[in-house]
Amino acid sequence: MAVWQKTLTNAEPSAKDLETGATRLRPWTQAALVPVTLAGFVGLWALFVRLTSYPPFILPGPDRVWVRFLALAADGTLWRQAVVTLSEVLAGLVVGMCVAFVLGYLLSRSRTVERLVAPYIVASQSVPIVAIAPLLVIWFGTGATSKILVSALIVFFPILISCIAGLRSAEPDLRDLMRALAATRWQTFTKLELPAAMPMLVSGLKVGATLSVIGAVVGEFVGADRGLGFLVKQGQGLYDTPLMFVAVISLVVIAMSLYGLVALVERYLLAWKQ
Amino acid sequence: MRPSPRRSLFLLLTVLAMVAGCAAPTATQPKTVEHIRLPMGYIPNVQFAPFYVAVDKGYFAAEGIELEFDYSYETDGIKLVGAGQLPFTLASGEQVPLARAQGLPVVYVLQWWHQFPVVVVSLAEKNITKPSDLTGRRIGVPIFGGASYIGWKGLVWKAGLDESTMQVSDIGYTQVAALTQDKVDAAVCYANNEPIQLKRMGKSINVIPVAEYTNLVSNGIVTNEATIATRPELVRAMVRAFLRGLRDTINNPDEAFTISKKFIEGLGKDAETDAAQKQVLAASIELWQAPQLGASDPTAWQTTVTVLKQMKLLTGDVSADKLYTNQFVDEVNK
Repeated sequence: MAVWQKTLTNAEPSAKDLETGATRLRPWTQAALVPVTLAGFVGLWALFVRLTSYPPFILPGPDRVWVRFLALAADGTLWRQAVVTLSEVLAGLVVGMCVAFVLGYLLSRSRTVERLVAPYIVASQSVPIVAIAPLLVIWFGTGATSKILVSALIVFFPILISCIAGLRSAEPDLRDLMRALAATRWQTFTKLELPAAMPMLVSGLKVGATLSVIGAVVGEFVGADRGLGFLVKQGQGLYDTPLMFVAVISLVVIAMSLYGLVALVERYLLAWKQ
Repeated sequence: MRPSPRRSLFLLLTVLAMVAGCAAPTATQPKTVEHIRLPMGYIPNVQFAPFYVAVDKGYFAAEGIELEFDYSYETDGIKLVGAGQLPFTLASGEQVPLARAQGLPVVYVLQWWHQFPVVVVSLAEKNITKPSDLTGRRIGVPIFGGASYIGWKGLVWKAGLDESTMQVSDIGYTQVAALTQDKVDAAVCYANNEPIQLKRMGKSINVIPVAEYTNLVSNGIVTNEATIATRPELVRAMVRAFLRGLRDTINNPDEAFTISKKFIEGLGKDAETDAAQKQVLAASIELWQAPQLGASDPTAWQTTVTVLKQMKLLTGDVSADKLYTNQFVDEVNK
């Protein structure tokens, strides 16, 4: 283990350390709990619908939603629309991430620049994305571009903040050490700053990954003829609440999958922290 | 024996009281006023002038109704009425069969817009003067749903167009920008809105009214089966008050516009905006004119159901005559 890794490892408790003996479960137990809790949730949902007798257009039961899901899956609609949204989400995440990382690096290098630019960045984030989305549709059309931009905009800020904080988190002593060893700028970045920033970068990426789904859906709400957001709108317009549920649950699955993927990348990149 | 002055005074007062009692109207219990929230389906606009006039002139109050305007979405209004949470909503006709197909027991009780308002507008330079000119063009619709899209589909069906030759896209409510920036060749919109805006910008335009090819059911008052069954007098009251406001608006648009200023933020503050909105009101009134105000056209209902079935938005048996009733309009107009 490198010196800087050991320093970081000793300084920060790992997730394993934070768990007490009472809450630490075996991996197979943890895996088994997932379908059990899911079944419990579905059961509660069905019971609630039965007890309250809400009509299906207000709250459909899980059985109706399942039937609708099967119909949409069978004719390929669900897959087609999910692929559209997923491509917008991934593209938005990549664009937002790249811009945030470049800007984050520049801002982390200079507090003066950060003080000058930060107010504008914060101000831009205070404008509701649902207000910007129609403008983006006018400027960039109703195709995928406007959705990718909305997704990138929503992802940008959390990744930027975690990037700045992460790049500055390298210990000053280690920076002095790199300077003493006559390390180049690139060596300092790749061997100290980037690895030190990784935990925070990954945390920001986890937040960004789930937010990117929201961004793509907002873009589809404003102007689209395909995608899961479009399906939600179509369900709303047709009073087809089971359709809305299927589309929303599909979006949740996408968001959770992206989060899980980032978590896997985290385990690989930050194995030294486990 | 002459009566005493005191006795005479007593007799006089008694007679006067009896006469006053006969002259005065029979004492009635004050009418209880019912507060009704009405989803309007759009933002505050001169198009709602008949409602503003009816409220301002006390027509609703005379029926015991205190109306609250709720400018929320049309689909939300239909759901609330279908769920029995509200007695009435404003909605376009095609919403009723779509809602009933999903189990919402809503019924259309008054047709307000007699002529379907959806049109296809284009700049004159595109030379789109008839439906067949739309072949191979880029068409913008505000949303893939609602009256505009149903109207577009109705035009495609009735004019025998092949939509696969066109590029139809959802442009949101940006029709004017989309046309002037050449993002689309033609856009679907309401006759009393975007065409007026474009003309005021000095643009020369062509308009293809959907109603010339197929007349679908447009905006009206919707209630639910429970209200009709248990509170028909409330439905009658709503219909009566609204029709009075509608007649007054049609007969005196200037007065209606003046009254509308009280209900629309910003109206009456700018001459240019007022001029445009007066044109909107005038264009809307043309769409409201009907042989019998408020009465639904059975043929239009049948056409609406047919178009929805063609679009595969309606499956199963949806009988057109269960979607609406002219009962209350007929009773009020007796």
